Formats: sequence, structure tokens, C-alpha cells
Amino acid sequence: MKKIVGYSLIAIAGLLSACDKQLDQSPISGVATDKFYTQPADFIQGVNAVYSGLRTYPDRLLNLSETRSDNLYAVSDGGVRDWEGINSFYKTIAGNVYVTEAWSGNYSGIFKANSLLEQLSSKGAAIIADPVLRTQLEAETRFLRAYYYFDLVRWFGRVPIIDKTLLPQEALQVGRSAVNDVYSFIISDLKFAADNLPDAYSAAADKGRATKYAAKGTLALVYMTRSGPTYDINGPGLGVNEWNLALPLLQEIIDSKKFVFGTSYANIFSYTNENNPEVIFDVEYNTGSTPVTGATFPWLLVPDTWFQSQSKQTQGGLTIRPVSNDLLNSYEAGDTRKAFSIQSGFTNNNVTESRSFFKKYVDVSKTPSNRLDWPINFIALRFTDVLMMKAECILHGAPGSQTDVDGIVNQVRGRAGLTPITNVTLPRLMEERRKEFAAEGSRWHDLVRSGLIESTMTTWITKEDVGHFMQPFQKNYILYPIPQSELDVKPGLYDQNLGY
Amino acid sequence: MSVQQLLPKGIWLLPLFLLFTFFQAKSQDQAGSILITGKITDESGNGVPGASILVKGTGKRTNAKDDGAFSIPVSTGNETLVVTSVGFAKKEIPLNGQTNLTISMTSEKSTLEDVVVIGYGTQKRRNVTGAQASFNASKLDERPVTRVDQALVGQMPGVAVKQTTGAVGKGFSVQVRGTGTITAGSEPLYVIDGFPLSTSSVNAAGNFANGNPLDNINPNDIEDIQVLKDAASAAIYGSRAANGVVLITTKRGKAGKPRINVNSYVGFNEANRKLDMLNGNEWIDRFTEMVNAKYVADYGSKGALASDDSTRRRQLLGLGSTGYNTTYMTDPRWEDPAHPGLRFINWQDEVFRKGLMQNHQVSASGGNEYVRYYVSGNMARQEGMVINTDYTSYSARANVEINASKKLKFGINITPTYSITNDPGVEGKDNILHQVLSMSPVQEDTMGLFPNTALNNQYKWSNSTNSPYAKLKYILGQTRRFRTITSVFGEYQIIPGLSFKTTVNLDNTDNDSKSYTPYIVTNSLTTRLASASALASGSFNSYRKQTFVNENTFNFNKTINNVHDISAVVGFTYNSDKLDAQEIKSNGGYRIDGVPTLNMAYGYTSTTTETRNVLLSYLGRVQYSYDGKYMLSASIRRDGSSRFGANSKWGYYPSASIGWRISEEDFLKSIPVINDLKLRASWGKAGNYQIPDYASIPQLAANNYSLNNAPAVGWVTGNLPNANLTWEKSSTYDAGLDVTVLNNHLSASFDIYTRKSSALLLNVPIPWTTGFPTQLTNIGQTRNKGWEIDITSRNIVKGPVQWTTSINLSRNTNKLLSLGEGQSQIIIPSAFSGAQHSILRVGEPLYSIFVIKQTGILTQDDINKKVATFGPETVGDPKYEDFTPDGVIDLNDRQIVGHPNPDYIYGITNTVRWNGFDLSVLVQGQHGGSIYSLLDRALGRTGQGTVDNALGFFRDRWRSPDDPGAGKVGKAFSTFGSTANTDWLYSSDYIRVRMITVGYDLNRVIKAKKVLSAARVYITAENFFGHDKYKGGLNPEANNTDLSGNNFFPEPGDYGGLPLPKSLILGVNFSF
Repeated sequence: MKKIVGYSLIAIAGLLSACDKQLDQSPISGVATDKFYTQPADFIQGVNAVYSGLRTYPDRLLNLSETRSDNLYAVSDGGVRDWEGINSFYKTIAGNVYVTEAWSGNYSGIFKANSLLEQLSSKGAAIIADPVLRTQLEAETRFLRAYYYFDLVRWFGRVPIIDKTLLPQEALQVGRSAVNDVYSFIISDLKFAADNLPDAYSAAADKGRATKYAAKGTLALVYMTRSGPTYDINGPGLGVNEWNLALPLLQEIIDSKKFVFGTSYANIFSYTNENNPEVIFDVEYNTGSTPVTGATFPWLLVPDTWFQSQSKQTQGGLTIRPVSNDLLNSYEAGDTRKAFSIQSGFTNNNVTESRSFFKKYVDVSKTPSNRLDWPINFIALRFTDVLMMKAECILHGAPGSQTDVDGIVNQVRGRAGLTPITNVTLPRLMEERRKEFAAEGSRWHDLVRSGLIESTMTTWITKEDVGHFMQPFQKNYILYPIPQSELDVKPGLYDQNLGY
Repeated sequence: MSVQQLLPKGIWLLPLFLLFTFFQAKSQDQAGSILITGKITDESGNGVPGASILVKGTGKRTNAKDDGAFSIPVSTGNETLVVTSVGFAKKEIPLNGQTNLTISMTSEKSTLEDVVVIGYGTQKRRNVTGAQASFNASKLDERPVTRVDQALVGQMPGVAVKQTTGAVGKGFSVQVRGTGTITAGSEPLYVIDGFPLSTSSVNAAGNFANGNPLDNINPNDIEDIQVLKDAASAAIYGSRAANGVVLITTKRGKAGKPRINVNSYVGFNEANRKLDMLNGNEWIDRFTEMVNAKYVADYGSKGALASDDSTRRRQLLGLGSTGYNTTYMTDPRWEDPAHPGLRFINWQDEVFRKGLMQNHQVSASGGNEYVRYYVSGNMARQEGMVINTDYTSYSARANVEINASKKLKFGINITPTYSITNDPGVEGKDNILHQVLSMSPVQEDTMGLFPNTALNNQYKWSNSTNSPYAKLKYILGQTRRFRTITSVFGEYQIIPGLSFKTTVNLDNTDNDSKSYTPYIVTNSLTTRLASASALASGSFNSYRKQTFVNENTFNFNKTINNVHDISAVVGFTYNSDKLDAQEIKSNGGYRIDGVPTLNMAYGYTSTTTETRNVLLSYLGRVQYSYDGKYMLSASIRRDGSSRFGANSKWGYYPSASIGWRISEEDFLKSIPVINDLKLRASWGKAGNYQIPDYASIPQLAANNYSLNNAPAVGWVTGNLPNANLTWEKSSTYDAGLDVTVLNNHLSASFDIYTRKSSALLLNVPIPWTTGFPTQLTNIGQTRNKGWEIDITSRNIVKGPVQWTTSINLSRNTNKLLSLGEGQSQIIIPSAFSGAQHSILRVGEPLYSIFVIKQTGILTQDDINKKVATFGPETVGDPKYEDFTPDGVIDLNDRQIVGHPNPDYIYGITNTVRWNGFDLSVLVQGQHGGSIYSLLDRALGRTGQGTVDNALGFFRDRWRSPDDPGAGKVGKAFSTFGSTANTDWLYSSDYIRVRMITVGYDLNRVIKAKKVLSAARVYITAENFFGHDKYKGGLNPEANNTDLSGNNFFPEPGDYGGLPLPKSLILGVNFSF
């Protein structure tokens, strides 16, 4: 028996040393990051992850630009809805989920970009033999990083510049940067992208990646946005008058002949005509994949009862966000865009909803079984926009003539079935943009850039909000508040925007 | 006032031995030996076989026979007999000349000579120096409990057992001395017969998603439960002991003739209450008021009046002659008192029922000097209080011990169990109960209980929910669980006093659940008609969970010179947990309706995942006691876990405790009123590692994009790594006092403690500029402080009536001491818009409720004085406190208005015996906590729409300045929106008569003692009486929904929880 005990002791001692190694468990169903980035495909997949940060961009535009603007009159029907306060100018929206998402979604994208840029600089040269591919991957990543920062600066003004992955203790030292510095960072990334991205991608599978022209178009919009008035709020406008820097970039896009002004408005957004020649840059979606890579923005502004009236399953819109009477009335007779963009009322289960809503992105026959999985792409920059941006630059004094401006506007009006006009002014151009880009999320930014926001919003609220559900507009509301959760992380690290 | 003054005079005067003066015996004063004969019995008069009888001061001993009879020779007839038997209190009987006596043993647990189970061993109760609560499970088989945790409610001080669900077969939440952690789990470690089960915590929604350690454990097999509360007693379990340790001992066989036990009960259970909701007429009243107000507000400029009829409204709204717009129009049939064609439905009445419950158990136990066994089989079935919900379980147990030689012992415990739960998803947000409550109480008569089901359309003025009654009828949700716990051990005595024990344990759970929702209870009618087959959905989930534990210990016990008691244990343990999970979900509907298996689905998606963690431990403990007066215990454990960072896998957990039995000191021995008095003090450190596996390693997360209409695979790091991630540690100081006075009539324990938890496993908020909102870090401190008192008073022990009272009362408060560097608070996110309501703020209790305070209803006077309002509020809307006085009500006006954990919990058990009858009553409750009811968000928010039903107190709403209601609910039609405020805040205080049992000893009437050693019949009523202040839900402890929407800040709450089941059962209990 003593022997048994002795053997047991030896056995235990042996067991102990064997067991110690068992404390190093690595994931069975996952991959530790340090085992990745071993072949070029890993880096391509890393860039894809940076693109994936765009997936919430269209919804954000609809929630923060379209809903806040005079295009929608989406005051409460009595329920608790996430956009409450966005549309009616409550001061207390620092905790709003959409506002928080605008911050977190973009910084998440920036982290992904920085993370990949670091992997590219430390391992890229050794693993990716093709220098062209390596540069292209860096250019795509920097384009996206600039895209995220540009989105941030338009919503929040001054934001922290993060150009590498940070540990929490490092991030706690980085405060908000001046708007001008943020722009410098954006412009440097976009210039690199414009210089190094391809004109187009030869492989069909790469359709949807950013091209040189996406970078140039975005850079042009950055210059134009910087040139807008400052309103003295540390917002996106710096009043710098760089319209003449934007114009040549837009002209390059036009002169490239790679893009075509679409002949049919509806066709631009057709489910069967994605990646058409009008598209310069879009956010891409497809349906039926796992994990889901489909879209939610198509139904975001559409009430669920309308889907019911079309015999479709529940979508996410739940309650209606009605189109404002102001926008409805502003369409000229015969404007074909109105019927395409807007559904005016419907009856479901013998109950009539008389208000209108945007259904621009919905093709009922394409309703997916999963409401989060719509297949349609969101066009973030299209050729018509480039043309109208050109007209805007000219109206602000960049080289060109009134004839050029009128020509562009009339080209757009013609497609919509409207008669030509002359002597187009800036307010008139913005009014034309409002209808051309309705539900595309550009209205708020257009008003801010053109300097028209204060007068437009104040007039509109007085006219439309007869029930006084809205608070008066203030210019401080051009910017959104810094999310409360970010302020709470370390009091004093960030200051709150004025007016909140 | 002294204790004695509180008591009836004379009750306690007679010492125990007087009981035996009835047995006057003639002394046989012969020289040499006198033969003493007699019988050892239990309280019911049944013989206690194998009881040991020792003549004090001599080596003479004998054992009682199977019928309890014994005989033993003595020399003078004035000796004292010492009688001991497992499960009974030791008894000393001075013979005083008697030669024939019947000695009745008391099976009271809290006697000092008891041996209690402690971590890695046993100890005499008198020597225990830690804070340890005991639960005597002997009455467990008389209560309609299907789970062990259910039986613990209200039984032990400092052990809060929350019945968070009324659904059948679900785990309870157990908290020992409050919660010290913010993110990591807070459930205790369960150890069954020495086998530490895998810890498992509630998820953010309050459910045990991957099983509760007590699932399928048959309460009828439990002998004893000990809860180790302070770190000194628990620290031997090291890194898993910070939340306390629950030691469960199952029944074993005793040497003696086979004993067969039959327990059986049958009864029913039903909801103990229903929620007060508006009835049909009241709902119509509210609807009409709101529709008219909205109509006038929107069309007043065009001449709309509240009195306009449908025709006039159609004109103004531009509708055709049959059109309806329910936003502005009511149903004309409402005005007719007979409401033709409509049916008023109390949905709660339709879905609640009386459910049958039954439980049948047969066990056999016995043994001899070589083998001892306990085997049992059990079948339990409980129909839930809601139709089509039930729980059935089958379990068996075999506990066998073999003495292979004098030195070598083997044993095996094996427990196969199988259970089936049917629950189509009753509790939680948007689940069936929530819809039962919020469903419009007025429906079309033609649809019966099936609005918006199959070919029925929805009633125009109703909410669009599919009939919850139909959902209960047609949705399938079934969970089947097969769990086997097996332990094998071998013990070898190396030298007397030193033995080596090794155990090998495996806990294997195979759990699968299937669900199927037919298309008839989904979507709207038009959608159902258009695409029926695509709307059905189903899933199959399963997991296998395995815990393997090997423990090896050396035990040493020695008594030197009768005064030095030394025991020691050292050991090594290996612990591995593995979880394999699978999921298959239908995709795109079913090809045919009515077949729930996924072979009929158009398509499916599926996934499998696996995780594993390993825990290695070394442990050691020394206990020393000197003459039963001075006690000392010290332990240390070293744990290493694969869950933690490369730099920090190992942690040490020391503890020490001392005890001083003052009553053994000479200066107290002379005070007869004090039978026992012991002071205890302890300190120890324990850990918590209840976080997910692999949390310290950076891992890739899928971030797919889409390119050219095809998925583009994307990968990026999905978490912030932390190579220094390590244990959350808590150190506890405890001081205690155990006292027994007044001839053992009154015994009490008092403990006071402070538990400080530090290096919390906290998902500390960090700037999003890192790419992440939080990082799992060891930072922050909390403190739990409190005291506990446990009193057992044998009020009446003599005579035909015997009465015992046990009272436990405890107070615990927690406080957040620090968060991340420089952080003073974290506002907990909310899963639901507009409902952020909790905060972690330094200096305040964890998860304090942080909302705006409602102070009344706005009057015209208020408006004139320009009191602060929330947005465009007007007369009749709620008035809020401008806490940060700036003239407006906004989020800056939030303040802490309560905390979720009760300050006090208590339980009182009274037991009375009389003439074969016994009565036991358990009253239990809590005080000082609050509940923030998110169910109110569905049933009682400001600005709530017209269609959903509203809580009953809405009938006392503000209607006009002349009819301002009860002052809580503002006017029905309001458009200012909603902000989290005190209108959903309720006290969570309750007091409840948890159990009443009346039993009768049938042996008194059926005279079958030869066959039946015990026969008892009883009736038990649970949860029949009680009181609480929760008007926004059905159970103040309900947890069923993830309120934060964030796993980092798990905050389960009530968004549609069932009431408690009240049950009445009739049971019998036979022993052969």
C-alpha cells in the first residue's frame, strides 16, 4: 500500500507540470489576432473590415440630416421614438442613440483603418509582394479614414485626431482638435488617396471599392464645406473660400468621361441597375449572406403599416416620419421625382394614413425575409451631385459662367420633366438640390454649407409647426452635442458644444 | 428588558432529563454489574438503529439493534450514558438508578456536537470559526418545490434567494451578502458532495442561458445545505468563492436494515395575483378622450369639435363614406352600452389557469460495515400557471460507499436526470405575458380570443399584436435536458489520522431546445395571405456542457492529550470546463406548415461554437483547537486560470480565523444561564473569475462588407486585449458571536462583516477614440457591509405542545468606492430609448436608480409662474423637480432616487407540534430596495398611445383642472414625449407567507407500526398570502429582460414577468 501512495505522489507531480501548460488556452472557435496577417488576402480582408464601417452611414444621414432638416416633419405621435428631439430641436439629445452612433460608428471605422495601416507598415512589405496592391490598400484605407473624419467634423465640429491605434490610457490624453487641424488631416489622406487609387477596378469583384474619382469628389466637397460660413460655432464651415480648389477636382471627374448623367431619375436607384455610370461612390449591400450584409436604410423612414398594406412582413420603420408640407408643396407640377421619392398616403386595414413619406429606396418586390437584409446600395456620391457642386462653386466665384450654372440646373430639371429656368441663384440652386437629392441625406449639410440654414429653418418651423411641438432653432444646433457617454469617461477631456 | 421577561413564565424551567423521570426504575443494587436495558427512539418514537451507547468515563459501549433496543452492563447504576447517532443530538443521561429507559433523541440540527460539512472536510459545529449558515433539508420533501434554490428562500440570514421568474423549472438568483461586482457574475459557487460545479451567472436578461448549477438536482435527495458566507470559510475555494459557496450534501445510506421511503404529493398551482389593468370600458374611455383631443388639436383650426360624429370627421379628414382613421375616429359601437359585435376580454383571465403539480419519490437506503447505499427515483411534474407551460423531470440517484478494507474506502455517486420544459416564451419584453397585459381589451366578437390570427384580421382599434392566447396555443418552445453528475472517490488511510483521498468528477449536461412559430400567429392578415409559408420560423439549439474535476487531498486529524485537536488538509485540484454550442435556425420559412422540425424549412443557417477553460489549484488548511476553548484556522489556496492574461494567471487566497469559547472559561461556567458562548473573528481573501473565456486575448471579429452584390469577408480585432487581466479580489472581515442560553432554549448567532472587492473585473468606459466603448480591466472597488442575526427559540419544549421559532434577519448595503481613474460615475446605457435610469456613482449603491423626480401635475398656476417643464408641457402634464435649477427639465435634472438591492431581508419560521399534528409557517420578506419597472414603459408611459392597454391607476388620471385625479398620472393626451422619471419607480418591499404546512402522523391512527416506521400526511400552501407595493408588474423580484442592452453592465429587470405561483398540495410520506 505504501508503494501505491508513493506512485500516486509521483503521478500527481507529473500531472501538475503537464497541467500548467493547459492554462494557455487559445480560442477554439475564434482566431487570435496575432495569428492573422500572414498572406496578402488577410490584408485585403482587413481593408474590407474598414469598408464595413460605412454600413451605418446611410442610416445616419437619414436620421441626422434628413430628419433634422425641413424635409421631414417628424414630430412625436406620442410614442417614445429614437429621433425625438433630433427633429424638434431638444437641447437634451447628448444621450440620443443616433448622436452617439455618429461618434462611435466613425471612431470604430477610424480604429479599423489605423489598425490596418499599422499592420501594413509593419508587415505589409514582407507579405504583399506587389507594391501596387500595397499602395492601393493603403490608399483605400486612408480614403475611408478621411471619409469617417469628414462625417465627424460635419456633425460635431472639433473632434480628436487619432492617427494610430491607442491604448485606453493614451486615448485619455487626446482632446478635441481645432476644426482646421481635422481638415488638414482629412485633406492629406484624401490627397494620398486621389494620387494612389486606381481610376477603376478591373475585377468585377472589386466593384464598389473607392476609386481616384471618389477621392477627388469627396475632396472637392471637403473644400466646399470648409468654404461655408463659420456661424461662429467652430462648425464645419471655416469661411476660407476654396471654391476654386474644389472646381478643378470636379472638372477632372467630368472630363474623365467615366461617368454619365443618367437619362432616367428612377433608373439611378433601380435594384437592377446598381453600380450604374451615375455612381461615383456608394455604400454597397447584398442580401442573403451570413453574417448579414444587407441594408436597413430603405425602410428607415417608411411606416411599417405601409409594408403591411403591401402584404409584407414587419420592417423596422414602425411609425411614420412624414414628409413636410413645405417639401411636398415645393415640387413643381409635372416633377417626376416627386412620385418616385414620395408615397403620399395609403390605406391599410381600412385605416387611412393621409401623410406622406419617403419610399425612394423601397422596391416592394425585393422585400427580404430579414428586415435587416435589403440588397440595395446607397449612392453616396453621384454624377449629378458633381455637376451641381460645380454650379455651386461657380456661383461662389470659381471660374465659370451663369450659363454653365443654368445649363447644369436645366439638365437636371429636364430629366425631372420640368421646363428650363435662367439666372439661377444660390438659393434657387439649393432648392433644386433639395428635390433632386430628397431622402439622400444631403439637405442639412447643403443648408449649412450655403449659409441658408438659420433663415430657412426658422421660417419653416413657424410655417409648418402650428401645434408648437418644436423648440426654436438656434445656430448652435448646426452641430450635434458630443455624446454624453464620451463626456462622462473623463470629465474635462472634451468640452461640450455650445448650446447643449 | 431581558429576554426572559419576554417569555411565558415557567415554560423553560425543566431541564431535558426531567422527561425521563417518568421512567422510574428500581435499582438493582447488586455487587458487580447491573444490566441497563432500554430503547433509543427518535422524536416520533421509532427506534434508532445503530445508535451508539457509551458509559461515560469507561470504555464500555454498545450499539442499538434494528428496533433501537439496547442493553449494557454498568457497575453502580449512577453512571451517565452518552448516546450518539448520526443526525441526532448527542445526549447524556444520568442513570440515577434507573435500569430500563427509553431515550428519545432529538434531530435538531443546531446542536453543538453536530458535525458540519465545510470546504474539503467536516468539522464539529462547536469548532466552526467562520460564518456559515445551515439549512436542514429534512423537510424539503414536504414542499412543492421542484428546485433546490426555491427551498432556500427566506431560510438563512445573508442569503438572498430571489425568485425572479414564475415560469416553471427555471433557476433562481442567489446572492450571498449582497453583490460586490459590477460586470462579473455574482452567483455563488455550488459544491455537491465535494464536487465544485461550474459557476454560472445570469445573463443580462436575468436568465441562466447555459444552465444553472442546480438544474435537475432533485431536492428530495438533499440531506443538508451549508452556505459559506465569509472569506475565511470560503477561501479554501479561492478564486470562485467571492460570492460565497453553497455546500450541498446528498443523502447517504446508514448501516442498519434497509429503509424504504415513499414521498408523494399532488396539488395545484396558479398565479398568486393578476395585474390591475383598465377594463374594456375604461380603455374605451381613455381612447375616446385621446382621439378627441388629438382631433381637436390637429383640426381645430378647421372647426373640429370633440363632439363631431364620424360623418363630420370623415368630411374634415377627407375620407370616403366607409373610411376610418383611428387616429381621429372612434368605433361608433363603443357608444352603445351593449357594444354590439364587440367582445370585452380580460386577457389575463384567459391565459392563467390552475396547473396540476405532482411529485413521487421512492428511495431505499441501508448498509452494513462493508457497503452503504442510498438509491432513489423521482418523477415530478408541474403544469405552469399559464396554459401550455409545464415542467417534467425524472431523476435517479445512487450513492454507494464500500469499505474495501479497514484502510481503503471507495465510493460512487451517480445521478442521471432528464427534464422537459415547455414554454413558448412567456416572460420578457414583447413576449407573451407582456402582450397579454398590453393587448387591447376590446375586440371583434367574431374573432373570439383569436384576433389577428390565421384568417382573422386585427380589430381596427386594437394594437397589431397577434393574439397572445393563440401564441400560447400554437407556438412551440421545448427544452430537454439530460444531465448526469458522477463522482468516484477512493480514500486510503496511510497511518491512523492521515489519509489520502482522490476524487474524479464529471458533470455532463446535454441540453437542446426547439422552437417553432407557425405563420398563423405572425404578421398582419394581408401578409399572411400573401406569403404564408415564408412566415413560419423555427430553430434548434443545443449545448453540451462538461465539467471535469479531479481533486487530490491529504487529510490529517489528531487529538493529542485530549486537548489539542489538530486537523490539516493539503491538496491539488484540476478543473476543466467545456461548452459546445450548436444552433440551427430556419431561413425563409417552411415548405409545409405544422411540422416543427427543420427538415421542412426552406433553408437554414447554422453555427457551432466551442469554448474551454482550465483552473488549477493548490490548497492547504490547518485547524487547531485547544480544549474546545481556543480555535484557530488558517487556509491558503493558489489558483491559476486560463481565462486571464499571460502575465497574471495566478492568484493567492489566504484566510485566517480564530474562535474563543468563552463559556468554557471558569468565570462563565458558573453562570448557568449561559450554555454556550463563542466569539469568532475572521479575515480572508477570495476571488471572482466569472467572465467569458479568452477575454484577455485580442481576437478577430467578423466585419463583413459587400462588394458587387457579394459578401466581402472582413476581419479586424474585435476587442481590446489586456494581458494583465486577472482575478477580481474581495477581502472580508467578519466578527461573530454564537450564544446558547436558558437551558438551550434560545440560541443565536450574530455576525457583522465588511467585504471589500477590489480590482473589479470592470468594463470600464474608455473613449471611443480607441475604437471601443469599454475595456475589461481590473479597476474599481466596492464595499458590502452588513450584519446578520439568526435566532432559534424553543419556546415550548415540554408537554403536548411543542413550539419552535427561527428568525433570521440580515442587513446588507453596498457602495461603490471607486471606478476607473478620475471617473466618478458611469451612466448605464439603456436598451430602450428614453429609458436610461441607472448609474454607478462613487459613494452610492451599485446600479442606483437615477431619474428625474415627478412632484405632481402641472396646474395653470405653475404654467403662469413658469415652473420648469420638460419640452412643450402644458396643464395636466406631469410636474418634475428642477433638480439642477436652470428653468428647464432635462437630463441634468436626474437624481438618485433609490437602489435595487433591499437593505434588509428576513425569514421567520414557526413550528408547532401537538398530538401528532405539526404546523410550520414560513414568513419571509425584504425591505428598503426599489424597482424600476420597464414594464411601465409599455403599460404606463407619458404620452402612451391609444391602443395598448394601460395600468389600472390610469383611471385616476388628470382629466381637467376640476378633476385632477390622484396626482400621479397626467392627462391621457400629451405630446411632450417621455423621459425616465419616478413614475415607474416602486418600492420592492414585500412580506409574504411563503409556506404553511400542516402534517399529521398517521401511525397514531392506522396502527401499522410493524410495517410502517413512519407514516405522515400533510397539506402545504405556498405563497397564499403576502403584500407588496409593486403596481407596475406582478413580482417585485422579477427579472426577465436585459435593460442595459449591454453585456458589460448586466442589468436584468422586469418587462413582463409572471407572478409567483401559489400552490396547495396534499402529500403522504411512508417509511418501511
